[in-house]
Amino acid sequence: MDDIRFAERDLCVTEAKIAARDVQVHYGTNHALKDVNVDILEQTVTAFIGPSGCGKSTFLRCLNRMNDTIPGCRIEGRLTLDGQDIYDPRVDPVQLRAKVGMVFQKPNPFPKSIYDNVAYGPRIHGLTRNKAELDEIVEKSLRRAALWEEAKDRLASPGTGLSGGQQQRLCIARAIATSPEVLLMDEPCSALDPIATAQIEELIDELRAQFSVVIVTHSMQQAARVSQRTAFFHLGRLVEYGETGQIFTNPHDPRTESYISGRIG
Amino acid sequence: MTDAAAPASPAIRDGSLFAPDAHTRRRNAAERRFRAYGITAVALSILALIVLLVSVLGNGAGAFRQTFIQIPVTIDAKIVDPKGNRALDEMKKVTTIGYGKQLEASMLAAVAAAGVATDGLSRKDIAGLLSKEAAAGLRGMVLENPDLIGRTITFRALANGRIDGYFKGRVSMDSAKLDSNISPAQLVLAERLRDAGLVTVAFNPQFLLGADASEVRPEAAGLGVAILGSAYMMIIVLVLALPLGVAASIYLEEFAPKNRWTDLIEVNIANLAAVPSIVYGILGLAIFINTLGLPQSAPIVGGLILTLMTLPTIIIATRVSLAAVPPSIRDAALGVGASRMQAVFHHVLPLALPGILTGTIIGMARALGETAPLLLIGMVAFVREFPAAPPEGFFSPASALPVQVYNFTQRADPAFVERASGAIIVLLVFLICMNAAAIILRRRFERRW
Ligand SMILES: Nc1ncnc2c1ncn2[C@@H]1O[C@H](COP(=O)(O)OP(=O)(O)OP(=O)(O)O)[C@@H](O)[C@H]1O
Ligand SMILES: [Mg+2]
Repeated sequence: MDDIRFAERDLCVTEAKIAARDVQVHYGTNHALKDVNVDILEQTVTAFIGPSGCGKSTFLRCLNRMNDTIPGCRIEGRLTLDGQDIYDPRVDPVQLRAKVGMVFQKPNPFPKSIYDNVAYGPRIHGLTRNKAELDEIVEKSLRRAALWEEAKDRLASPGTGLSGGQQQRLCIARAIATSPEVLLMDEPCSALDPIATAQIEELIDELRAQFSVVIVTHSMQQAARVSQRTAFFHLGRLVEYGETGQIFTNPHDPRTESYISGRIG
Repeated sequence: MTDAAAPASPAIRDGSLFAPDAHTRRRNAAERRFRAYGITAVALSILALIVLLVSVLGNGAGAFRQTFIQIPVTIDAKIVDPKGNRALDEMKKVTTIGYGKQLEASMLAAVAAAGVATDGLSRKDIAGLLSKEAAAGLRGMVLENPDLIGRTITFRALANGRIDGYFKGRVSMDSAKLDSNISPAQLVLAERLRDAGLVTVAFNPQFLLGADASEVRPEAAGLGVAILGSAYMMIIVLVLALPLGVAASIYLEEFAPKNRWTDLIEVNIANLAAVPSIVYGILGLAIFINTLGLPQSAPIVGGLILTLMTLPTIIIATRVSLAAVPPSIRDAALGVGASRMQAVFHHVLPLALPGILTGTIIGMARALGETAPLLLIGMVAFVREFPAAPPEGFFSPASALPVQVYNFTQRADPAFVERASGAIIVLLVFLICMNAAAIILRRRFERRW
C-alpha cells in the first residue's frame, strides 16, 4: 500500500501539494498577512524564514486551519491541498488536520504519560487494531524523534515532566505518529542542543521521502541544511520564494539579502 | 516611577550595605504594615470562628445526651393484645394510653423495689418523671416485635424534658417552683433515683435517627426526617445540577460563538447567582407547586428549587476552571486531528475537573444550608413520618436540616434551644464533610501542566 503511494508520488514530484493564492489574514484590524502566493511541493522540505512577527506562524496555521480557533481571525484568498479548497465549507477541519500535522512553536505536551501523548493520535484515528501495533507506533515515533533512548524507561511518567527540549521532541513524535501527509513544524529545534537538532534534521530529511515538510526556523544554517525551498517573509508579505540555494547565494530581493546577511531583523 | 528608572542614586551608591537607606526603610515599613493588617484580619476571623463554635458546641452538645429512666416492664398480653391472637391489625388498635398505664404501674413498682422514698408524691407525679413519649416508644417496640408480649423487659424510657433539663443544669429547684410541668419534689425523687441507678444520662441515638416531636416533648425530638429530607434534596441537586451545569458551561465556554447573545446569557447567569434565595422559593412555589401540581413539603420541590439556585454557581465555577486550562492544550489536541468534542472531553475537562468538583460541592454546601425557599414551599411543616425510599420518597413530605433548626428555635420550651444547637452541629458536620470531600477530590485530580 505504502509502496504504491510512494510510486505515485514519485511521478508527480514537482506538483504542488499545497497552493496558496492571494492569502490575506486579519486578526481583527491587524492585517497580518498580505497577498501570499506559495506552492508547497510534494516530498520537499520548505523553510519559512523571516524576522519575528512577520507572519510565519500565522501562515503555517492557515495551512491546517488552526486559525479557526482564534476569535477575530479572518482568512481570505484560496488555499488548496491536492487541488481541493481547504476553506471550502464542506471540508471538515478535523479530517484536514489528520492529513496536515503540526508541531507548535511552544512545546505543548498533554498532561498525560509520554506513551499516551504519542498514542493519542493513532487512538482517535483508529490507526491500530491492538496494543502491540500501538506500542510499535509509539516506539517508532519516539525513535524517529530521537527521544526513545531517554524515554523508554519512563513511558508511563508524565510528558510534562520532561525538559523543554525533550518536550519539543515529544511533540514531534506525537505529530508524526499519525503519519500525516504534510507536516508543519514551527521552530521545532528552538530549544534543542546541537545533537538533538542534528537528529531532528535527519528525521526531517527522512520524512521528505513520504511527506512534504514545512519548517519555520530562525537559523539560516538550518534552513540551508534541511530545506530544498525557502520562503522569506517580511512584514506580512512573502518577499521571495525559491530554491534554497538560490535564496541563500543569489537572492533577487535586496530585503532578502539584508536579512540573510544579518542586516535586518 | 521616574527615579526608579534613573541610574543608581548617590545614596545607594555611597551607602553601606549594612545601613538601609531611607527609601528601603520606607518600603520595608510598608511591607510590615501590610503583614500586620493581614495577620489582624486572619486573627479576627479565627476568633469569630472560635466564638461561634464554642457557643454552638456548648449549647448543642447536650442534645446528643439524654436522661433515661431504666425500669423493668412486664408487657401484659391482656392490655396490648386483648383478643390474644397476636394479629398486628388488632394490636394496633391499642393506643398509647394502654401502654401508658402499664408504664405507670411498672414505674411505681420499680421505685418501690429500689426502696426510694417518694415523700407522698402521687402516682401521677411519679409517672410524670417519664416522658409522654415513653409509652409511644414502648408501643413501637411491641408492635415491631410481638414476641415481647408476656415477657419482662428492661425498658429504657426517656425522662421528662424537665428532668433532663435538671441534670443538664437548665432546670433548677427555683425554676421548678414556678413550673406547672414539674415540682421540686419530683426533682428530688429524680435525684434519688439517679443515686439508685435507675436514672442515667447517656448518648441518645434517637436525636439523629428519630423523628421530630411535638412542642411539649422536646426530649423526644430527633433529626431523622430532616437529615433524610436534606439528603434526598442533595441527591436531586447533584443528579440534576452537575450534568446540566457542566454541559451548559462546556457549551458556552468551548462551543458557543462569542457574540451579543452569549454575552447576555453570561451576564444573566452571573446575575442569577446573586438572586436572593427567597426569590427562588417564590418561583418554585409558583411553578412547581401551583402550576405543575407537585406536592408541598416534598424533597422533590425543594431539590428542584435548590438545583435552580445551585446551577449558576456550578456554571460559573465550571466556566472559570475551563477557561483556566491553557489554550495550548486545545491546540495540541486539535493539531493531532481530534474533534473539538474530543479535545474537550479527553484533555480540557480532566484538567478542569478539580475546579468543577470544588464549585459543585461548594454550591451544594450552600444549598444544604439554605432555609428561606424551603420555608415557602412548606417544608417547615411538622413531619413525623419518615419519607419512603427514593424515588417515591422524593414526593412524600419531609423536613430539612436548616428548616428544622429554624423550627426548633420557634418553640417555646427552652429545651429546644439545645436541640436547635444540636441540629446546627449536625449541619456543620455535614458541611465540613462536604468541604473535606472537595479538598480531597481536588488533591486527587489536580494535575500540573
Ligand atoms: N492570536 C493572535 N491574535 C492577534 N494577533 C496575532 C495573533 N497571533 C499573531 N498575531 C499577530 O500577527 C502577526 C504575525 O504573527 P506570527 O505569530 O505569525 O509571527 P511569526 O512570524 O511566527 O513570529 P515569530 O518568529 O516570533 O514566531 C504579529 O503582528 C502578531 O502580533
Ligand atoms: Mg512564530
